Order: sequence, then structure tokens, then C-alpha cells
Amino acid sequence: MSNELGTVLQLFMRSLETGSVYALAALGIIIIYRTSNIVHFAQGSLGMFNTFVVTYMFTSFRLPLWASVLCGVAAAVGIGFLVDFLIIRRAKRVSSLAKQIITLGLIMVFLGLAPMLFGVDPLSLPRFIQSGDIGLGRASISYNAILNISLGLVLMGILFYVLQKTKMGLAVRTTASNESTARLMGVPTGLVTLAAWALAGVLGCLSGVMIAPTTTVTTSLMDAVQVNALFGCVLGGFQTFYGPVLGAYIIGVGRNFLVYYVSSIWGEQIMYLFILIFLIFRPNGLIGRKFVKKV
Amino acid sequence: MNDSSPSSSNGGPNLAAALFHSAYPRFILFGLLIATLPLFSGLGLMKSSTLNYIGNVLVYAVAALGLNLLLGYSGLISLGTAGFMGLGSYIAAYVSKDMGMSFWAALATAVLIPTLIGLLIGLISLRIEGIYLAIATLCVSEILLKSFEQADSITGGMQGKSVSYPVLFGHAFNRSSTYLMLVVVLTLVMMLTHSFVNGQKGRALHAMRGSEVAAQAMGVNLLQYRLIAFSLATAYSALSGVLYVYFVKFSYPSVWNLNLSLYVLAAVVIGGLRSIYGTVVGTFVVWAVPDLILKKLPVVGAINGLPYIFNGLLIIVVIMFAPQGISGLWLSIPAMKKKKLPPAGKEAV
Repeated sequence: MSNELGTVLQLFMRSLETGSVYALAALGIIIIYRTSNIVHFAQGSLGMFNTFVVTYMFTSFRLPLWASVLCGVAAAVGIGFLVDFLIIRRAKRVSSLAKQIITLGLIMVFLGLAPMLFGVDPLSLPRFIQSGDIGLGRASISYNAILNISLGLVLMGILFYVLQKTKMGLAVRTTASNESTARLMGVPTGLVTLAAWALAGVLGCLSGVMIAPTTTVTTSLMDAVQVNALFGCVLGGFQTFYGPVLGAYIIGVGRNFLVYYVSSIWGEQIMYLFILIFLIFRPNGLIGRKFVKKV
Repeated sequence: MNDSSPSSSNGGPNLAAALFHSAYPRFILFGLLIATLPLFSGLGLMKSSTLNYIGNVLVYAVAALGLNLLLGYSGLISLGTAGFMGLGSYIAAYVSKDMGMSFWAALATAVLIPTLIGLLIGLISLRIEGIYLAIATLCVSEILLKSFEQADSITGGMQGKSVSYPVLFGHAFNRSSTYLMLVVVLTLVMMLTHSFVNGQKGRALHAMRGSEVAAQAMGVNLLQYRLIAFSLATAYSALSGVLYVYFVKFSYPSVWNLNLSLYVLAAVVIGGLRSIYGTVVGTFVVWAVPDLILKKLPVVGAINGLPYIFNGLLIIVVIMFAPQGISGLWLSIPAMKKKKLPPAGKEAV
């Protein structure tokens, strides 16, 4: 295998890993958008907070990593329930714009809660599989990266299966298409949104646990993930569940290749510029349909 | 920002009453009131550091007034406030320090360039659904923030960029006179905003807020007026950035992150949409209350991240229970005195 091809392959695998992180977060955002009609700006902050829970369990209580992650997932479910039950459900009367402002308020609350509960010192979280690489010609990829990629793909596979093939998924899709009609038809929309917030929290937590070993666990851990996941949604369009996931992977791949081949400093900015320009030509995303505004 | 003012039209014989009813003298009175604050610190009634907090409030109030025009009238969120503020501050610093130009040249370029960029972003994103503006401005803000960190030769990178107090009308300003400059600029901006929203363009924006379809039927070009609101918001943020860099004398990349944009949004929501005084009060609540009051409290004051929790919860509570913000509560006081129900804030944001 030629040197060049090896580099490309390695870059591609690494992009898939970052892509999985973005895709999981993006899936959380789109699930909230489809069920509660809110652009969830706090997805990253909730993920950051739950990753703090995982890290705190791991470092302070010396739990094994898998048990810490379970604690984080439990916290994510609990917080998701609380957010929906205490805030979103009670804000039915306010406009969707106001609900978005609520999620911006949530960002601030969790930004403040994290240092209050877990201290201001940056923590660190190890990888699931500490060492070991698979050689692919001249390229190599760590077992941990393969775990992350496959975890992302398997999770999304299960979710899409549930969404498309089961009664539960049908309830979610009905709620997404028209909430009040769904309620009239006997769909328990309250349960659906409750589950959606919990699920989004879990997806955010998992993406946080995946990205944490590459950096330190601070309040800004998920900033880049949040931004890229949102752009994934824009790129893929807000109308389908799989569009944002696709968009997130494209951003993961595009970003890494631009950073490697074009400029390590300006690569990411160029990626964002491309997205802005793309919006001019396809304002509703890759798979988006046109918004039809009814009077 | 409909501080209902019968103003010039009543033309009563009583000059004092007419002055009191007219909006502009009240703005000037308000400005004079804030301008006297340094006297208190001179007399030792107020700590000198308190004046810094108040000065910051004045700086951020300008950006918040801009965002209030955008959010209050066109219902659009911009998350690029911090980015445009940062851009304004760096351009002002670069033009006045590295190029050695005058304060006025720095001010003009530092407001003009971000406004043009904002216009471009608006043209792209406003053609689509409203929510894209929030995401597009977030995108631009990220690009700008990264550029502030990387473009060492212009921004000084992570070390930041320093400037000195402005030189105006042949005088080198000090801290007190720069503070007065902030007061003058804020008062002018408040007056400008008042006249804008009560003018022809403001009425079109009002119509748009009521019903976009009806406004379109009346010949209001939605894209054009959204663009006007967004460019004004951008220009205000850039101006606010210029004021910041001259008052604080430093500009660091870490200041201009998303959290700052959220703070400005919090100020607008808490103060009350479309209220000029409300916005200034909201800015005070967001920036000064955590540092000046909450931190002095016994147990609560020791909590890390307290300002974030305070402002975040306040946003959520205001949106859910008092959508008109502080100004709405203020306006409902007379109604409550008359034993009437306060105006139900159902129209929300």
C-alpha cells in the first residue's frame, strides 16, 4: 500500500471516530427538535455535566470505568426527566423561540453547576481500551477508536430500527409530525418527550465520554462538539432523523482532511465557511425539504 | 422599546410637564444620573472598583440594546454578539495603536467592518427560516474567535491586545473621563434607538412582529427589515466592543466566547423585550448583581460558578413566569394598585 493511501486511510478512520462523537450529539439534538420543536443548544452542556459525573465517579469513588459510565447514563436520564418535567412541559404556552432561549439558560445553569459540584480543577478520563493498535498497511488505528466507531454505529443502528420498525418508534414519529393530532390519536406524547429528553441526555453523555480522553474534562469540553453537531443538523437538514447524522459524519471527515491537507490553523474555519456557502445553495440541508409555512 | 411618549404632540403650556413627558429629556436626565456616580466614589461612599463594574454595565448595555432590537422586533436570535464585539475591539485597537490613527478613524472602521460582515451573514441566513440566523451567527462567532487566537500579528494572539485611554478633542482621557464618554455614548444610543423604533422603520418592525403575513401584505419587505434589525444589532455590538477596549484597555480572545453572547441575551430577556430602560436594568442585573451583591452574601457567595447559575435560572424563570421581564413587572405595578389583574403576559416573546 502506498504511503499516501495509508495516510488517507488513517485520516479517514480518525474522522469516523470524531464523526461518531458529533453524530451522537447531533442525534440528540434532532430527537429533541422533532419531538419538542426546540433547537437544543444545551445538548453539549448537558453532555459536559454528565461527563463530569462519570469522571467524578471514576476519580473520587474509584469505580471502574464501565460503572462510572453507567452512573453518568443514570444521571443523564434523571436530568433529562427533570428538564422535561420541570421546565419544558410547563412552558407549553410560550413560543418556540422562547423555548430556545430556555435551552440557552440551561447552558448557563449547567456551566455554573459543574464547577460548584465538581470543583474548578480540570479532571481527566482514560480511554476504555488503554492501548493496542491494529495495523492497516501503513496506517494504524487504536482498538479504542474502533470501539468508539462501532459503538456509535451500533447505537444509531438500534435507534433507527426502533424509530422505523417498532410501535414505540411510530409514537415518536407521530409526535414529531404533529403533536396535538398525535395526542388526539391516543399517543402518549408526554411520555415520548420525556423519553426524548432522557435519550438526548444519554447520547450527549456518551459523546462526552468518547471525546474526554483526547483532552481534559473542563466546562468547555463539549463546546466544539455542540457547535459541530448543530452544523451537522444544518448540513443534513432538520426534517429527517438520519440527515443530521450524515451531516455530522461529513463534518468529521471534512474537518480532519482540511486540517491535514490545507491548514492546521485555518482548516476548521474553512470548514465552517463551506457550510455557510452551502446554505446559500441548499438552505434546507442535504436531505431537507422546503419549509412550508401555513398561515 | 415603546416607552409610550405623547411627547411633542401635546404642546401644553406647562414647559416642565412637557419636558417630563417627552422621552429625550428623560434620557438625558437618566444619563446625568449615571454620570454623577463617580462623585460618590470620589466622596468615598462607593468603592472605586464598583465604578469598573458600572462602566462594564454601560458597555454591555449598548450591545444588549442592539440585540433587543433584533430579538424584540424580528424574533431572531443572534449568537454572534461576542464575536462582533471582539472584532470591533480588535479593529479599534489595531487602527488606533498599530496604525496610529485618531479615535474617530478607529471608531468608524471598527463599527463599519463588522456591520458589513453582519450584512453579508444576514443576506445568507435570513433568506431561510429564522433559526438559521442563530446557527449561522454561532458559526461566524466560532470563526472569529479562532481567528482572534491565531492572527497574532493583528490581535496579539493569546497575549491579547492593549490600548490606552482615548485621546479626544486634544485631551488624553483618564478613567473618569472615559467613564463619562461611556455615559454619553449610551445615552445617545438610547435616544437613537428610541427615535428609530418610533419612526417609520420602527412601525414596519412593529407590524412585522404582530403578523409577518399582514405586514407583507402592507408592503413591508420582510427580508429588508430583518436585515436592518440585524445590521443594527451588529453595529451596536461592534460599538460596544470599541467602548470595551477603551474602558478596559485590553482585549483577550477568551473574553469573546459564546458565554458572553448568552449573557447579553440574558440581559435582554430579563430586562424585558422592546424596553430601552429595561435593557439597561437587565444588563445591570446580569453583570453587576452577581459580583456586587451575591458574592458578598455569606454561604451563597462562596459557590463557584454562581453568576452563571443565577443568570441561567433567572432567564428560565422570566421566560416561564414573566415573559415581559423586569419592564413588564414595572409596568404592571400601577395596574396592581388599582386592584386589577396585572396584564397577562401571554404574548410572550
